Order: sequence, then structure tokens, then C-alpha cells
Amino acid sequence: MSPSGWSDPIFCPLADSALTIALGERADGETSARVRAVAAGVRAAALAPVRDIAFGYAAVTVWYDALHTSYAAMEALLQPIVAAAAVASPAYAAGREHVIPVQYDGPDLEDVARRTGLAVADVIARHSAPTYTVYFLGFVPGWAYLGELDPALVVPHRTEPRARVPAGSVAIAGAQTGVYPYAIPGGWHLIGRTSVGLFDPMRNPPAVFAAGDRVRFVPGGG
Amino acid sequence: MIEIVAAPPYLTVQDAGRPGHRADGVPGGGAMDRWALAVGNVLVGNGTGAAALEWSLGGGRLRWDRAGVFALAGAGVEAALDGEPVAMHRSYRARAGSELVVGRLVSGRFLYVALAGGIDVAPVLGSRSTYLPARFGGVEGRLLRTGDRLAIGETVEGVVPVGFGAPAELEPRYEQSECGLVRGPHVELFSADAWRVLMETAFGIDPASDRMGYRLVGPAIEHRGDAALPSAPVCPGAVQIPAGGRPIVLMADGPTVGGYPVIAVVCSADLPFIAQRMPGEVVRFRAMTVDESQRALRRRAVAIHTLAHLARGG
Repeated sequence: MSPSGWSDPIFCPLADSALTIALGERADGETSARVRAVAAGVRAAALAPVRDIAFGYAAVTVWYDALHTSYAAMEALLQPIVAAAAVASPAYAAGREHVIPVQYDGPDLEDVARRTGLAVADVIARHSAPTYTVYFLGFVPGWAYLGELDPALVVPHRTEPRARVPAGSVAIAGAQTGVYPYAIPGGWHLIGRTSVGLFDPMRNPPAVFAAGDRVRFVPGGG
Repeated sequence: MIEIVAAPPYLTVQDAGRPGHRADGVPGGGAMDRWALAVGNVLVGNGTGAAALEWSLGGGRLRWDRAGVFALAGAGVEAALDGEPVAMHRSYRARAGSELVVGRLVSGRFLYVALAGGIDVAPVLGSRSTYLPARFGGVEGRLLRTGDRLAIGETVEGVVPVGFGAPAELEPRYEQSECGLVRGPHVELFSADAWRVLMETAFGIDPASDRMGYRLVGPAIEHRGDAALPSAPVCPGAVQIPAGGRPIVLMADGPTVGGYPVIAVVCSADLPFIAQRMPGEVVRFRAMTVDESQRALRRRAVAIHTLAHLARGG
């Protein structure tokens, strides 16, 4: 354990062109803040061999030029940067705040109310009450992993995934909530929709949300 | 310009991919077989990552508006330019009005048609690669269709080699069915027995395999614990083991993060061997260290560099 109480970062190769830095095992806000701080630290260091950076709940992965840099050399380059960034996480700057208008009329809204034992109005109130934090983006372009959903709204994934979920669908599944950035198959419960476009490949950056941003869903409009 | 006179069922523009945007959820993408893409490109005097046609699932025809140089690489096909047979991994000059007829794919899954100057579509997020799931890159983010016309980039006169064939030892060959595997971040979640099964099995390629991932058919790979982990970054070549134990090898358009344990990752230099396998064909694995995997990658880069040098007339 480091003095801050965090477990030490664990470095591991992701085959020949990337390495992963594990920063814990939990999918919680504290771990996520630390992950974002480490990712920001690696990005700010602008190391010559680095080709890309991605991160999840509890791990940061760095892609590098393996034709000219060995795994051992890359780990040695990253060690001090990760050590410094990992303890500095509380100072990580908060991102932008987004207010997303949502028309809460999704096809699964009543089903969610039934499964949770809540009134529809209560489901809407509980979903739109928190200010969510964007932990990271991933899986598909523009998909934001948000924390944290009201525990009363936790329901398992749909047993029959839909072949096509429309863009802008606001959905929940397990302990997660999210907005479909474009039409894809999906097994989440659709509780609403928004007309805010979350991903445009012609923009740079292409995604509206960035890790560390805060998101509020506001009923009405959509 | 070249015109797609008769499109095969699958035809897209692909290059070496769009790294740098994974933190926005955008996969690296690009050609499924980077080796074939690079070989095709250097045979026509391009840089290794220039945009080319990625072709699969059947035959088709192309026509040149004005003279150009091209080469076929990757999957083996029967092809003819204005009635004359065209060999794999050799550069040819097409005249204005020339027509290339590609028959069925005889072996392998992805053919690359490399064109001197590269395909000149507008880059999106730094790449010309088509990403079909979100419909961007290439031509309107979609499959190419009969009647589409593609602009070709300018070439410097005299630099483009014609009639040069890759020597056998520098030519992509896909007979090798054994791919190197580097231990993955979650290998500790599996028993030694699971690893042995992974090493000793000839896995089939499931028909439900595409640019996002190839599903492997074989005995289940057993977890010791939970099959769901907090989502973490993954990469092409990552061997994910979902609940049920049927491995999925992530490919070029695979998700940027995943929540299934990654038991191993395929050596980048060997990933083309998997990409080129058809449903029903098999792959085998052997253990590799990170250093061995990187050496294989560097050997591949040197071979491509050597080929580029030879193609330009030594």
C-alpha cells in the first residue's frame, strides 16, 4: 500500500503494443477519479513512444510504438508519471457540466416501474435527481459510463436485447445508466430519449461528454 | 478515378486505422490484415498504411478512368485484367478503360486491392478507414456499391514500380495456423487446466465472426471466479472469455473496453492468420512472451521494409 492508502499500480502487458496499469478492482467514483488522474498525467507527459491512451473503471491502457520501444522500457518510462499522478488524484480538475433534456417516454419505462415497485413518476424523479460523473467513454464511439445510478433503479439487463436501439435513447441496466450515441443493438431498458447529439465524427473531439464531466438529466423537452 | 462496375457483397475502404481516439470510444479500426495491406501498398510505391479496398465474400469488377498501378494482396483470388491473368502480390499497370475482374476468393477471407496514390476519400478523425457500426469513414461510412467512383491520390512519376512481384519469402502466406499468445491481464482468474486447453485445442472459426470479433468453437475455457469484471480497455487480438467459456478474439472494429476476463492476447504479427480464416477453418495457439511477440512484430516490419526497397528497384 502507498502512503495514500491506495494499492500500488500494477503494470501488465496487453500483448506487444500496449500495457495496462491496474489501479484497483472496484467500479466506484474514487477509483475512477484516480484512473482519470493517471490517464491525464500520462497524456500531459507527451512521451514520444505513446500512440494512444484509453481507460475504464479501474485501469489505464497505454499503446506505444513497439517497433522501437520494449515493454520494460515503456514500463520504466511510465512508473514515475503514474506514481506522481496516482497520489495527486484529489486535485484532478472537475470537467464541464452538461444539462440533457430528456423526454421520459421510453418503451420500457412502465416495465422498470413494475420491476422496481416504484411509480413511473418516481422512476423519473430518481433518474433525474443525481448529478452523474462521466467515468470514461468506451465500448462504442461516444458511449459514456456514468456514475452513479440510484440503487432503487437497479434492474437486470433485458432478457431479449433489441436488434436496434435508436440514437438518443436514455437507458438503464444493472447499476448503470447511459445514452445511446447512435443506433446499435442493445439490451438496456429504454426509459426516455434526448435530441442532444452525443457523437459527431466530423468534430474533434467527436464526443460531447469527456471523462470527468458532470451530467444532469432534466425531464421535459427531449 | 476507379469505378466499381460490379461490387462484391463486402467492399470497403480501409487503411492502417485511426489510433488516438480510443478515450472517446473510437476503435483503432483499419484493415483486418495489416500485413496484406502493407505488402499491397509497398508493391505500388505507397506508404504501408495508404487507403486500399478491402474485399470479401465474392467476386466483382473495377474499371479505371485513367491509367494507374495496382496490386492484389491477402486472400488468394482468380483475377484478370482485360482478360490477362493477374497474380497475387505483383504490381500491374491498368490503362484508361482497363477492367479488373476478380472471381471468387480461393483461399482466405480478405483481399486488398492497393492502388498507387491510395484511395483519396476524406479522412475522418485522421483515417480513411470505414467504420460501419457508426457509419463514418470511407465512403459515407458504408459498404461500397456498384456504380461508386473513387478518387485516387497523385503519384510521383517514376516512383511507382510496375511488374514487380514479391519474392516468395516476403509474400504473405497464411498456411500457418498456429498463432502466438501472450498471457493476458486476467490469466490468474483461470486454472492451469484452462490454459492447457487453450494451447492444445484446434479451435474452429464460428460463422458469427466479423470485423468486431471472431468467435472460436471448441471446448469451454473454465473460469475460476466471476465472468464479469469492471470494464477495462481491450485491443484487437484480446481473447475474451465470457460466461459459458467460448472465447472471442477481438478484431479491428472491436469495442475499446470490455468486462470479460482477457486470458491472453494474440501476437500482432500473427493476427492476420486469424483474420484470414474462414468459418469452419481452424486456429491453434502457442505461448509467447511479450519480448518474443515484439520481435515477431519487428521481423515483420523489416520484411515489409525490405520489400518496399526491392519494389523501388533496390
